[in-house]
Amino acid sequence: MSYVLQTNHLTKRIDGKELVNDVNIHVKKGEIYGFAGPNGAGKTTVMKMITNLWKPTEGTVELFGVPLENTSCEVFRRMGSIIEFPTFYEHMSGRDNLWLHCEYMGYYHRDGIPETLEMLGLAGAADQPVKKYSLGMKQRLGIARAVLCRPELVVLDEPTNGLDPAGLKQIRELFKMLSTEYGITFLISSHLLSEIESIADTVGIISHGKMVREVSMEEISEMNTAFIELSVENTQKAAYVLTEKLNLDRFKVLDDVRIRIYDATVTTQNISRELLLNGVEIVSITKHTGSLEDYFLKMTAEVEKSC
Amino acid sequence: MLKLIRLEWKKNNIGKYIRNAVILSALLCLFVFALTFLGIANDPDGTLDAAPGMDTVSSLIELFTGMAFLIFTSVMLSSFIVSAYQNKTMNLMFTYPVRRQKILISQMVSVWIFNFAALVLSKLAIYLCVFIGSGFMPSFFAVDFDMGSPSFYLQLILKSFVIVSMGFMALFVGMALKSSKAAIITSFLLIFLTQANVGDFTMSGNAVFPFVLTVISFGFAVLSICHVERRDLS
Repeated sequence: MSYVLQTNHLTKRIDGKELVNDVNIHVKKGEIYGFAGPNGAGKTTVMKMITNLWKPTEGTVELFGVPLENTSCEVFRRMGSIIEFPTFYEHMSGRDNLWLHCEYMGYYHRDGIPETLEMLGLAGAADQPVKKYSLGMKQRLGIARAVLCRPELVVLDEPTNGLDPAGLKQIRELFKMLSTEYGITFLISSHLLSEIESIADTVGIISHGKMVREVSMEEISEMNTAFIELSVENTQKAAYVLTEKLNLDRFKVLDDVRIRIYDATVTTQNISRELLLNGVEIVSITKHTGSLEDYFLKMTAEVEKSC
Repeated sequence: MLKLIRLEWKKNNIGKYIRNAVILSALLCLFVFALTFLGIANDPDGTLDAAPGMDTVSSLIELFTGMAFLIFTSVMLSSFIVSAYQNKTMNLMFTYPVRRQKILISQMVSVWIFNFAALVLSKLAIYLCVFIGSGFMPSFFAVDFDMGSPSFYLQLILKSFVIVSMGFMALFVGMALKSSKAAIITSFLLIFLTQANVGDFTMSGNAVFPFVLTVISFGFAVLSICHVERRDLS
């Protein structure tokens, strides 16, 4: 399979200190790839190497199937990025900063500037100098700049920093829209796992400079079915039905009314149908799935143990 | 390259530097005018108090404009390049589809062109003022230039070329130490090196020295950009 972005055994050492080691990332075209990891795990280091700001000590970065070299620059015409925090020419207005960006990128579809400012809710402040912008407005302007030239790949390091809840929702929807309508591929790092969970198609987890796991959100959801909890009138009878009729043995009677089933293969529909057929009255039945946070904590805990 | 230079001027608010260069030139003109015709540097008895070899108008103009514009060039190079590293706008620049060396060269050339033009125009304006003034007032310094001679213009251009190019040495120090202040202090040290007298000896009187200085300056300019493609940005 060909990838828009791929890193092969990416390693970075500075003054003998290993910042990241053997990181392999595979980002498919059109997907939103969430890059998650605790503070200091090496997310920004990897992103700096992807954007060629830092040079790998070992390993390679491939963008659009072509290895990135020291002098590579043409490939950045197809990319947008924010690394660490967005920087601007503060004395210039937001509109002029975007104009300047278009000039350097060689992008001459100038209608895109007001459109993008409108999309990011900055039309009203477009002609104010950036030094008067709040942190959230600067973040929005940084995102506007990253997506303005309709790049094929957008690399965003903690793009939701400084945004209020309404802003978060708006940006989330914008990323999804750009991904589905324009086929833009996103690589987004965030320490907010709920954010990644809500937008990412694939998640890469990094901890202590090592890539722990790269997995699709679908797989996480399947793997993370934790248990089904039943509340019934008669637990004894229900336990009999689960054992004899549904051949289940991985369940636990918690008290007089509650039973927990730890079997990912059985569905809530099957359980409720069988219980009803056998005259067991159900008060409630709920499927509990683990969040990305649970999965993340489990994965990073494993790495910490091995370290 | 021309487009990159234009963009450098635009994003660094070149209008501000034009205004400052005009103010600086006006102040230099007033100062030279006062020294030449009002005798503000004279002894109380009215005789000229000047260092050996500094009793002509041209040496006076070259010294003060050279000093002022070497510092001005260093300040601009610091602002365009060293500060861009400090405030991380260089990180943004290096994510554009333009070679890093080309970006740095465009920044250096944009400052060089501006200051060369400003220095030449400033000197011309001051020489013209003194020339006009000398027709009406007695001069305390010897008026030793001929504005009708082509060699006057050739010398003026060559000396301006050397002075502005020296800014690259200051830039190298500023980039190496990642400090705008270091670049500006270096430009002051360069003034002492080139203009100071040790007994009767002064570098400024040596004919080979400007040539050597220009070669060294461009050597520093090359050193400032030669490893930039391979270097990590902080």
